[in-house]
Formats: sequence, structure tokens, C-alpha cells
Amino acid sequence: MTIEQEALKHFSEVSVAVELQTPDMTLNIGPQHPSTHGVLRIVAKVDGERVSDVTPVIGYMHRGYEKIAEVRTYPQITALVNRIDWVSGFANEVPFMAAAEKLMEIEVPERARYIRMILTEMARISSHLMFMASYPLELGATTPLMFALRERERVLDLIESVTGGRFHPNFNRIGGVQPNAGAGPTQKKAVQDLPRGFLQGARDAMDSLLKTCVEFDELVTGNEIFLARCKGVGILSPELAADFGVSGPNLRASGVAFDLRKHTDYLPYDKVQFEVATGTVGDSLDRWLVRLEEIRQSAYIIQQAVDQIPSGPLQAKVPKIIKVPKGEVYVRAENPKGEMGYYIVSDGGQGPYRLKIRSASYSNISVIPILLEGVLVPDIIAIMGSFDFVLGDVDR
Amino acid sequence: MTASPSDTTATEEPTGPSALDSYAESVAKSVGALSWSTNFDTVKVLVATDKWTSSLRTAKNELGLIFFSFLSAIHWSNDVEVGDAPTEPVDERLEVLAAVGDLIEGRLVHFSTSLPVNGAALATLTGIYGGANWHEREAAEMFAIDFIGHPNLEKLYLPSEFEGHPLRKSFPLLSREVKPWPGKVDVEGMPETDEDATQDPAAETMPSGVSTENPGK
Repeated sequence: MTIEQEALKHFSEVSVAVELQTPDMTLNIGPQHPSTHGVLRIVAKVDGERVSDVTPVIGYMHRGYEKIAEVRTYPQITALVNRIDWVSGFANEVPFMAAAEKLMEIEVPERARYIRMILTEMARISSHLMFMASYPLELGATTPLMFALRERERVLDLIESVTGGRFHPNFNRIGGVQPNAGAGPTQKKAVQDLPRGFLQGARDAMDSLLKTCVEFDELVTGNEIFLARCKGVGILSPELAADFGVSGPNLRASGVAFDLRKHTDYLPYDKVQFEVATGTVGDSLDRWLVRLEEIRQSAYIIQQAVDQIPSGPLQAKVPKIIKVPKGEVYVRAENPKGEMGYYIVSDGGQGPYRLKIRSASYSNISVIPILLEGVLVPDIIAIMGSFDFVLGDVDR
Repeated sequence: MTASPSDTTATEEPTGPSALDSYAESVAKSVGALSWSTNFDTVKVLVATDKWTSSLRTAKNELGLIFFSFLSAIHWSNDVEVGDAPTEPVDERLEVLAAVGDLIEGRLVHFSTSLPVNGAALATLTGIYGGANWHEREAAEMFAIDFIGHPNLEKLYLPSEFEGHPLRKSFPLLSREVKPWPGKVDVEGMPETDEDATQDPAAETMPSGVSTENPGK
């Protein structure tokens, strides 16, 4: 036996021995991990670099809003609901208000509806920009964060100038929006409407935002490393998405052109023109591209809305003590994260008898164990990050 | 809470049933429902408990309602620990709601069935909609409903040793029982409202949502 033959024999023995000893390892990610957007724990069984089984552990952020809502009045619940998905607080309030208004049969003034629409789209931009900041960061690119947060700051400043709050505006009232809003830090006296310069400020911010979208295309979408990390990774089929109730940009990335803004009338989206962004493959890259396109479409909506906004009152006539008539209603809205809905059961009192909160991220991440089966360990982050969930929206 | 078809059509305008009504009626007919309603544009179809899975299977396979929105429950009870009791007596029961929709026209149908409060059990939907898995686990821990055939009916949000079912109406708001409600006593009042703030100190120290005299409303 030559030395080469002996070496070969030895090598084959070693490789057999290695193959025999492959116990599954359990890898714990979180609850404190930069990619979990809150406190999510993932228990993954890994065989080498392959993930064989994933169990998400949630509930670290469970605040029991559905129970608390039973002892709160409708106006008090506004403050609760905008903390569900704290990245887009304003958008959470709108469907709740729309549901209560539907039960009370209140017609909201057109100007208030437009203000709601502008601020909801700003909340969407702010939420998507947070995704634009965090997702490349999770994949190892730090610069896009600066671009995204710079633009987000402009949008948050605009939201703050109207509502007084950056993340938790608590600005909607049943029947409209808070009429004494817009007092901002520089205006001592409360004014009755949008702050001076808001509409022009919105136009400028949208122009600047659209330029940044081009920069994002050049900086991130064309980046070879970024493409290698997310192209063809975590493909979600439209059937699986519908089966698990995955909604919003994650659903549209799978090629389903379904957008509640086109189907429901909770805000005057029929007065503006915009396109529903969809993907083709349903991979992580599509989820990125859909969100990038949605930022553009939201900017177009805001541009049209500030041009069209009618004058008029900001609030319908509502009684001082709000009692909602008996009935059950479900109103859902297209939130930045997906379908957000409130099922209100009212017994005619000042607070709901039961409030079911349907939040988007909860259904969105329930599909993750299936998507993560058989992927490589680094893809866990690339897939989870692309779903853009917020744990407050998962746990409620 | 569900109106029978005659109730709904009675309140309709003379032009006849709306498109939503006829849609709800056709869904109810296809699944063999007990009744249906479209109050406040919310389509609700009441089905018998033993027809729960067959109705939802029909909805998914034949009616195109492929999108699983949510599953939850309502505890109808006259004896409530938190909040207000119903103004009119209700039948003690657990109402399970499953909302499914399509992804073309934006329709959403709430299937509803009623379970007894003690020993509530219902066949699982996990074989039809994958998304029902987490929603049923949540409903199981919050309302004590046994979903028969569920692959993994463990607690989802709550710690595994947690006792009780928080969204039942008989479950108190524990944080307020354990830690007294501060009320207004430790909050400095505004200058002009200082006198109002001290008018009824007893009421202010009541935990919100616990006492029936001051349920925090």
C-alpha cells in the first residue's frame, strides 16, 4: 500500500466517523437580539449549518390590551392602540376610530378624512423607512441606516408639527381629528387647524424622499452582497401566505395584488391615484422592493392629498360623553405591516364589551417556522428581517 | 346577537336586499348556516358546532375564501368581574369567530358558532387553514376552549404555569387587584382643578375595573 493509498483510506475512515457523529444542536436566538425587533425568541434545531426545526417563542411583550380595553372608554383606548405597532402609531388609531364611527353612524368631515389619510401615509413611510434602515443593517450594511433615518426624521417632524407626538400621536377623535391640534412647540396659541407651512413642508419632504428612494436603489438594490443575501431566499408562495393570513407588503411580494386601500372606504383613497406594488417571486428581495415602491406610492398619495385637501370642519358633532350603540362591527385597514382590524362588540356603554385586535405581524410571523425549515443559519436573519414585524404588533 | 334573515331584510330600504346581503345569503346557503347578518357591513354567518369544520372547508375550497384573517372568541356572560355587565341578560356562552376572506374583491366573512361555557370544545381548523394554529392556541389559553385535533395546544403568550383564562369575563384584572390603583392622589392637580381633585377621595382610590361602583369609566 502506497502512502497515497493509506492516506486515502485514513481519510475515508475519518469522514465516515464525522458523518456518524452529527447530533442536532439547539440554537437559541433572542429574546434580546438586534434582528428580533423587540423581544422574540427563536429556538432553532440546527444540523451543522442547516436549520431543521424552528419554534418562535412569543409573549414577552404581551400587555393584555384586549382585557384592558374592557375597562376603558373609547377615547382612552385610542392611547392604547397606537402603542400596538409603535413604529406607525397613527395608522393603528384610524381603523379603531372608523369602527367606532361606523357603530355610531357618524359621518366624518372630509377635511378630517384627508388629514387622517396624509398622516397614515406618513406613518407608512416612517415604518417602511425603519425597515429600510434596519434590514440592510441586519445584513451587515450600516450606511443605509443613515439615509433612512434622515428621511424619517423629516416625516416624524411633520407628524409632530400636527399632532404634538412623534410616535404616539393620540390625535384621532371619534368623529374626526383633534380640533385644537397643530399647536407645535413654536406656536403658543392653539390654532384650529393644520400648522402654518405644513402643506408646503409635506411637499418638500416628499420631493426629498423620492430622491432618497433613487439613492436606495443605487446604494442597496444594486449591491452585489445584498442581492446575494436575499435573492431567492425565503420564498413565500401566495397559497401559503393566504393560508396563514400573511398580509400587507409580505403578501404583495408574493405576487398577490391585494391592498385594502383599494377595497375599503375607511379613508378617501378613491380620490387619489396610486398603484399597488407587487413582487413576482416572493423572496426577501421582493419584500424589500415592494416596500421601497410603497414608499414612492405613499409619497404620491401625500402629494395629491395636500393639493386636494378641502377646507371645512375637523370634527363631526359628537356628544360629550361617547356612548357607542349596541352592535358588532369589524373594520380593517391596510397598515404598514398589513391588515389591522378591530372587532368591536358594543353593549351601548362607554367602553366596548369585547375588543378583538387583529394585528398584522402576529399572522405574518406565524408562517416563519415553515419558511425557515431547511435554510442556512445566516438566512434566519435574512428571512426574519425581511418580514418587518414589530413585537408589539405580535403580542398586543 | 345575530339577526335572522328576516330581521336584516326588514330594515332594508324598499329597493330590496343589497349586494352584501345577497352575498351573505349565498354564503349561508352554501355552508348550511343557521342564520346570517350584515349589520354595519360585517358579514357574520352562524353555523352549528358540528358543522364548523365542514363549513370552513366549503368556504375555502368552494367559495374562494382562502385568506385566514383571525380566530377569536367572545365570552357572553351576565356575571362579569371587569367592565360592565350586559344591559340585557344574555345566554351564557362562548362565541367563537373565524374570519376568512378572499384576495380579489376584499370580502370577509365571520363564521360564528356558540359553545357551552363549561367544557367548551371545538374541532380544530388547523387542517384547513394553517394560520389557525396560533390563533387557536391563543383562544385556548385565553378562553379555555379545547380545540380537538390541534397538533400543539400549548400556551402561546402566557407562561406555561399560568392558571386561569384571562379573557373570560370571570377573570379579574390582576394587576389592579395586586397593586392598588393610585387614582389621582399622587398626581399633582392643575392649579385651577386642585379643589375638584380632592372632592371624593374614596372614589379616586378605587382600583379601576375592579369595583362595581366605579368601574373605571
